Parts: sequence; C-alpha cells; structure tokens
Amino acid sequence: MQMEKFSYDNGIVKKFAIATALWGLVGMIAGLWVALQFYLPQTSLNFPGTTFGRLRPIHTNAVIFAFVGNSMFMGVYYSLQRLCKARMFSDALSKLHFWGWQSIIVLAAASLFFGYTTGKEYAELEWPIDILITLIWVVFGINMFGTIIKRRESHLYVAIWFYIATWITVAMLHIVNSAELPFSWLKSYSWYAGVQDALVQWWYGHNAVAFFLTTPILGLMYYFLPKAANRPVYSYRLSIIHFWALIFIYIWAGPHHLLYTALPDWAQSLGTVFSVMLIAPSWGGMLNGLFTLRGAWDKVREDPVLKFFVVAITCYGMSTFEGPMLSLKNVNAIAHYTDWIIAHVHIGGLGWNGFMAFGILYWLFPKMWNTSLYSKKLATNHFWLGTIGIVIYAIPMYWAGFTQADMWKQFTDEGQIKFQFLETVTSIIPMYITRSLGGALYIAGAVMMVYNLYKTAAKGSFIANEDAEAPALEKINPAKEYWHRVIERKPVMMLVLSLIIVAIGGLLELIPTFLVKENIPTIASVQPYTPLELQGRDIYIREGCYTCHSQMIRPFRDEVARYGEYSKAGEFVYDHPFQWGSKRTGPDLARLGGKYPDSWHYNHLIEPSVMSPGSVMPRYPWLYENDLDTSITPAKIRAMQTLGVPYAKGYDAVANRDLMTQANGIRINLKVDKITTPANKEIIALIAYLQRLGKDIKLEKQRVTTASNQ
Amino acid sequence: MYNLFKKSLVHKLALCFALLITSVSVSAQQAPSPAQPETVWSNPLAISMVLIIFVLLIVIILMGNVVLGTAEWHFKKQKDNGNFLKAVTILLMLGLPSIVSAQDAAATTAAAPLNIGGLSGTTFFMLLAVIAVELVVILVMALFVRSFIAKEKTKVAAVTTETKEEKTFQAFWDKFNSFRPITEESKIDLGHNYDGIRELNNRLPAWWLYGFYGCILFAAIYLWRYHVSHSAPSSREEYTMAMQTGEEQKQAYLAKAANNIDENTVAMISDKDQLDAGKAIFLQVCSACHGKEGQGGVGPNLTDDYWLHGGSIKDIFKTIKYGVVEKGMKSWKDDYSPKQIALLASYIRTLKGTNPPNPKEKQGDLFTESAAPAKDSSAVVKDSAAVKEVKASK
Repeated sequence: MQMEKFSYDNGIVKKFAIATALWGLVGMIAGLWVALQFYLPQTSLNFPGTTFGRLRPIHTNAVIFAFVGNSMFMGVYYSLQRLCKARMFSDALSKLHFWGWQSIIVLAAASLFFGYTTGKEYAELEWPIDILITLIWVVFGINMFGTIIKRRESHLYVAIWFYIATWITVAMLHIVNSAELPFSWLKSYSWYAGVQDALVQWWYGHNAVAFFLTTPILGLMYYFLPKAANRPVYSYRLSIIHFWALIFIYIWAGPHHLLYTALPDWAQSLGTVFSVMLIAPSWGGMLNGLFTLRGAWDKVREDPVLKFFVVAITCYGMSTFEGPMLSLKNVNAIAHYTDWIIAHVHIGGLGWNGFMAFGILYWLFPKMWNTSLYSKKLATNHFWLGTIGIVIYAIPMYWAGFTQADMWKQFTDEGQIKFQFLETVTSIIPMYITRSLGGALYIAGAVMMVYNLYKTAAKGSFIANEDAEAPALEKINPAKEYWHRVIERKPVMMLVLSLIIVAIGGLLELIPTFLVKENIPTIASVQPYTPLELQGRDIYIREGCYTCHSQMIRPFRDEVARYGEYSKAGEFVYDHPFQWGSKRTGPDLARLGGKYPDSWHYNHLIEPSVMSPGSVMPRYPWLYENDLDTSITPAKIRAMQTLGVPYAKGYDAVANRDLMTQANGIRINLKVDKITTPANKEIIALIAYLQRLGKDIKLEKQRVTTASNQ
Repeated sequence: MYNLFKKSLVHKLALCFALLITSVSVSAQQAPSPAQPETVWSNPLAISMVLIIFVLLIVIILMGNVVLGTAEWHFKKQKDNGNFLKAVTILLMLGLPSIVSAQDAAATTAAAPLNIGGLSGTTFFMLLAVIAVELVVILVMALFVRSFIAKEKTKVAAVTTETKEEKTFQAFWDKFNSFRPITEESKIDLGHNYDGIRELNNRLPAWWLYGFYGCILFAAIYLWRYHVSHSAPSSREEYTMAMQTGEEQKQAYLAKAANNIDENTVAMISDKDQLDAGKAIFLQVCSACHGKEGQGGVGPNLTDDYWLHGGSIKDIFKTIKYGVVEKGMKSWKDDYSPKQIALLASYIRTLKGTNPPNPKEKQGDLFTESAAPAKDSSAVVKDSAAVKEVKASK
C-alpha cells in the first residue's frame, strides 16, 4: 500500500491555545470584577463601561465565546487533523478563522463596553457582529468539512460526530435567534416580541450551553481523554446512543428557563420533561469518559492532565443531574432568579469547561513543543487550587440562593411579606464576599498555568508542521456493515441527519407559539410605548438593567404581594426585545410604574443608597449629563412599525413633538419636588419608561369596571 | 431460568404501570373541576409512595441482574462439580419468590378499583403492600447474592489477600455496571483505530439503561397528568390554591390574635417603647421620601398642621395602608401588619410641631384636632406655580 506523506498544522493550534489562555484570564478577571460589585458598589467606578450591567455581559461573552470558544477550536484543529489523517483543508482559511474570531471578540468587548447590546442574554452582540460571526462560522465549517472530505480514514470517530452536530446546530441557533431589524449602524430591535422572543431566546440560550459548551467539549473529551490515559474508549454502543439521544433531546429543553412565566403551560411542560429525559444521555457521556479510565486510575494519581479531566467530567455529571432537577417546577420555584443558578452554571463553567481546557492545554504544550511539562508539581498545585476555588465559589452561592428564596417567600402571621427585598440582599453579602475569594483562587491557579505553559514552551522547540504518513483512502464497499458504521463513512449524511434531529424539537416548540393565537391572549388596554418611553427603554437595555432586574412576576403568593398582579402574556406584545431577565439581584420591575414619584427615581438613580440605604445598586451619574439623542426617534418608530407595532401612519414625523411634551411633564413633576433639570437629559427618558412599566393592565381593570357599571 | 425471571419482571412493570394509570384515571373521574384537584395525585404521601415503589422496582431489576449473574456463575461451578440436582433446587427457589410476589401484587391491584377514595385506607394499604412486597423481594435477592458470594469467598479466601469489604464492593460495582474483566478486553475490542484510539464495545450499564426508560416513563406520566387528565394543577390553579391557603392562615391567625385593627378602629398609641418600634419602621422606609425627621422631601412634610389626606390618626393609618398611588405613595398593607401601621401612624402624629430644619412647604388643608376628619381633597397648594403647570400638562 502506498504511504502518503503529509504534515499536521500545529501553528494554528498554537494560536488558538495562546488565545484560550489569554482570553481565559481576561474573562475570569472580568468575572471577579463583577463579583466585587456585589459588595463594593463603588468598584463600578461610576463609569458606564465598568458598571455591572455592561461588565457582566462582557464577562459571560468573554468566558463563553472567547475562552471556551478558542479552547474548542484549539482542540478541534488538533484532533480533527489526526482523526482524519490529513492536514487542515486550507491554511489560509485556518488563519482567517483565527483572526476573524479574535476580531469578533475584540469588537464584542468594545461594543458591550460602549453599551451596544441587543439585551438578549448570551446573544448581546449587535447586528454587524452577528453577521461577522455567521461568516466566520461558515469559514470554520468549510475548513472542517474540507478536511473531513479529504481524510485518509474511512470512518468518522465519535469526536467528529460531535463537531459536526455542534457546527450545524450553532449555525441554526445563531441565525434564528439573531433575527433583528437594524435602525442604525450599530443598533437593532429583535424581530420577535415578548413571549415569542423569550421562547426563541431561551431555546437559543439553553442550546448555547448545549452546543457551544457541551457537545464540542464532549468531542474533545473523546479524543484527549483516551490519548492522555492511553486506554480504549469504554463503549462504542454507548457513544452512539448517547450522541443521538443527547442532540435530539437537548434542543427541547429551553423552556425550563421560563417555568411559571407567561409562557404557555404546554411549552413549559415540554421543557420540564425533556430536561428530565436528558439525564441519561448526558450521563452516558460522563460514563464513557470515566469508564474509559478503568485500569488507568493509578495514572490519575500521578498525571495532572487526567486529574483535570476526572474533575471536569465529574462536574459535568453533577451539573447535568442538577439541571433536570432545577427543571422540576417545585425546585425551579425556589431556585429561579436566585444565586442557586449562578452556582449551577459555575459548576459547569469552572468545572467542566475550565478544567477540560486546562487539561488539554497541559497535554498539548509538551506535545507540540516536543518536551516535557516544565513543572508537574505546579500543575498539580493549580489543580488543587482550582478545585478548592470551585468549592469555595459554589457552596456560598448555593447557600445564598436557598437563603434568599426562603426569605422572599416568608409571610408574617398577619399575612404580610416578612422581609423587604433589600433585607434579603444585605443578608447574603457575606456569601458574595466568600464567592469572590473562591473565584480569586481559581484565577490564581490559571495564572500559575500560564507561567507553567510559558516555561514549557521556552524550554522546548515548537514543531510547526508535524510530519505524518498514512495510506490514501481506498474506496471500500463492505458487503455488510453495522448500520451506524455506514453513517460514519458519510459525513454529509451525518450533517443532514444531525440537522433533522435538532430541528424537530425547535420547530415543534416555536411554530405553535408563533401561530396559535390562544397562546398569547390579547389585552385591549396594552398600548405601544410612547416615543420617550421607547427611548428610555433603550437606555434601560443599554445599561444592562436586565442583568439584575426581572420584569416577570410569577403567579406566587409572595411575588404578587411584593410586586403586584402576576404578569400576563398579552402585556409584552410590543416588547422588542423582551426584558424578563433571569436573575433578581434587585427587585422585579414589571409593575414599577406609578409605585414611586418621578423624584424618587431621579434621586435613586444618582445615588441609590440615599433612597434605599444599604442598596448595592451602582450609580448612574452620566444619565444626568447625557442629552437624549432625539434625532434617532423617527428611525426607531419606523423600525417598530415594520415589526408590527401599531403606531399611526406618519407618526415618526411627529414623534419627537410628543416626546418633548412628555419630557416636559416629567421636568415639571420634578420641579414640584425641588429638582431642577432640563427636559432633554437621558434620565428623563428612563424615568418615563420606568413609570410606564406594568401600568397598562391597571387601565384594563378600570376599563372592565366602567364597562360593567354601564 | 433467565426467561422466567424476565417474565415476572415484565409482569411487574406492567403492573406498576397499570397501577399508575388506574389511579390517574380514577382521580381524574373524581375531580371534575381541575381547580380543586383533590385526588390521589395531589396527595404528597401518595406521590412519594408511588415514587418509592418505582425506585424499588428499579432496584429489583438491578438486583435481578446481579442475582442472575452470580447465579449463572455459581451454577456453572456447581455443574462442573457434577452437582446438578442442587443447582436445579436453587434455581427453583430463586424463581419462586418473584412469581409469588407478582401474584400478591396482582391481587391487591385487582381489588383496588372497587373502592378507592382519595387516599383512603384501601389506597394506602395497597401502596404499602406493594412496597412491602418489593422490599421482601429485595431482601430475598440480597440473601441469595450473599449466599453465593459467601460460598465462593470461603473457597478463594485462602488465595486472596484483598480484604473482604473491598472484594464485595468490587464485585458489586462490576456487576452493577455490567463490567467485563479487563483481562477479557480483547474480546470486545472492535478493532477501530483512530490516531491510536481503540474502541471497546461494552454493554450499556443496566442501571443507566433502566434509568433512561424510567425518565421517559416519567415524562409520559407528567404530560398525561398536566395536559390530558388534568390531575395536576396548572400554574394558575396552583396560584389560586396558594392564595386561598394564605388567606385562610391569615384569617385563622387574626381571629385569634386580636390584631384586627383597621382604619375605623385604630386609636392613638402613646406607649414610649411601642412608639420607638414605629420610629424604627419610619427610619427604615418612610424617611427616604419624608425625611429622617419628617420634614418632607420627595414626599410632603409630616410635622406641620397641613395635611393632603387628613391628619387624624385614622386618616394617616388609611393613607399608609392604601397609599395614594397616583402621587407616588405606595400602599404598605402587604409590607406591614395593621398593628405595625398603627404604630407608624401614631409615631407620625407625635412629629407634629417638632419644627425640624429645612421643612418642606405647607401642602393641603389645615387640620385641627377638633375638626371632623378632613375631606380627602385633591391637592390644594397655595404657593407653587409649578403645580399649576402640572395640571396644565395633564
């Protein structure tokens, strides 16, 4: 048989590896910074870009798309070449992918810093970056499929199944969820509104976890774990079953982020049951990983790489069991909006994603620099520091979650809510302090790793092109082959099957919610926002208020007593995008309108602790200096009209007149309370929006009462 | 032998399923209105018992595998020794309890639909009986496993250096996960080689597989209960029930506690300690708008003789309780008890005439003690041109 000589491209792997380490540190430090703001509000520096609402999306995006994203590409580019016995399809595309992705990250960080955000969690990036992501993702796809097509291996290994499913599903999620209508070069409105936007968003959000943080990393596990342990994969059968079951079931589970909300009950139930069914397929991956180590546990005691993998896979198992439990309504009623969820995602993020990335880096550097690790001891210390860091991070957050949920739900014997919201926050401050210590330990470990890897690279010599040889792929046509082996020989079939499998769940949940009218009963009194309120809403989104405040009152006795009538689906039909939020560091704002006078909001936003002593909310001094940009009002109104919001024809031309009248009204209200401010400041628009929140349904009640009186 | 056991397993599964379905349908019949699902399924005891039954069933299935495995291996040894008769006896003994138990359970369910009512004695004892039967089966199986392992252990005890516990646990763990010995690995190696990675074709761990089936069963029952039989409450129904219970608890407490103050019965409190409690609440929440000394700020001055909504203790109580929402005074009745609001109102009354620094201008009507409760007039502000603008803009 003729052996073909070729080489593997290690240069691109090195680039992604360095980016992984670098962005990892950046993302984690941003995380530590936002953690500090929970007990030291002054660390927001009273500067827009470093205030929690903007810094938190920078943290999540950096960690997900920069740190884990680069680690995924690093692992894929290394393993795919070797599993296909071929160099990457095109070095130019590899480079384009790398630099394209890094520029996306830089643009993302800059745009979030300056407040350009769509206001949809984990999809905050604005439309030009969304388009760039799509293009670069296609580049990655072409490069990956090109390599697969020119492979010298007849069948595709399980790792590649996961890469393929990842690629196609992320493409689908990103395109559907990013459907938005631009009204300026950097801003757009979500195509969907209210309940539908929420469903699409969490279908995306949940599956970003599934197909960006889970499936590609499982693929990496299938390559790097057996390589590092030098053991065969435990069960091929299990690989097949858990792979197909995982991608089929995962896609349905998104609505578990919306339990007890205004989302129709049937969709909520689908979210719950598919989450429960997800336990086994997820654990299939964990078992195949851990059981692969059978007969190699003595190595685990020695090798820091395997140590990282074992804890990573264990964390994966824990969070994929916890996830379904959190999807049960009675558990979710407690956990949702609290720090329990923060603990849950950090078990996955720090444990599974972080430790997998660390393990792979420690394994790759000595291999690619043809040397041994600079210090095994330092790596082991990193492992222990990281593990302790995770524990010290997670336990206080679980505790904080339980404590706060318990306090929220308590009533006095006389039937009043027992604790003011602020009391429930101040009582968990010690937990916030402890959590940031855990995070600091974890970062210290990561710094040690960067040093260790740097020293390793310094003492070795980098093999940019690793020579390899393999026989050319012969056309084989075995008479009888196991059914799944047939699919493994046909990458395009694999791609199409994956797409069909993942499309089913999404279509069956999204289409009825969009088409069936009964899902979102209309409320006659719900009216579009006035131009000033719309402008204020965009400021609310820009400052990331949704990262701490929900706008969704669940039908619970305590929430209705604390915030008012529970939220109805029909109230959100003009909300492009929806702003339900997912965490209550501050109270719910769905019915804030009319609760306090304008002057209260004015004083509160400039110095929250004046109006609510002990508050950890940051200050927003710039809202009092910035003039409201009214030149964009007509464009905003036109965009909303295109999206189906019923403003009168030609309203865009006169919108600013109404805007000024309303702003003047607020100015006068403030003047009565001895506050003098011009009407054209951003704060006026924000106050207008806050005073509108949840008011329409009160008008509905009056309307109904008058109607029945007549 | 294996088939026999399998059969009884299938029976049991079917039985359990039938049990779930019958109780669901029965409860559905009894609950014509979904708003009051007074059914077996709304009873936490019943749900937890069925859950226990289900978990035990999984344990039985798992243990069944272990027993079968150890038995097969045990009898192979026995047969090798030519002790065939003994093997058959044990085989029969093994099969017996599961058949018997299946029949037991069948008898109890057959009787079930005749008289079931909520979580009546019958239901309870039926569920209890199933649990008991399952426990007995587990116990019997455990005894079998123990006897098999114990016999083998005495044989190998001389040659092994491992401790008993390690050995037992290891054996259990291997069986539990359907492990093949590592030495036999070559038999299940598929011959795949991807960059040096080989693949084995181990069996799926039984507990994993049955766990998966269990989750799917859970999903089916869940959807059935919430969306077909409506025996589980929707979010809105849950809310109505919670409000009802909350209201009942509150009424029960108030009836006993003589705390039932309202705007008609409230009277001035002058006890110093009690007023301090009122002051504490004032400083915590009221001072943000009305100033620490009641001098006013965002909200009106509380120390002068002019009141927008009346200055009697009853008026103040009413203003705090219901709020004046259109002017930004929220209702506090969900935050504080009537007693607390009375304390607060009394404290506010004591502020009159304290003349704190930086008072807000007078607003509203002059209130004198002797006058009848002031009418709840709209704002009559004398000295502010701004307010006229407010009216103009509205």
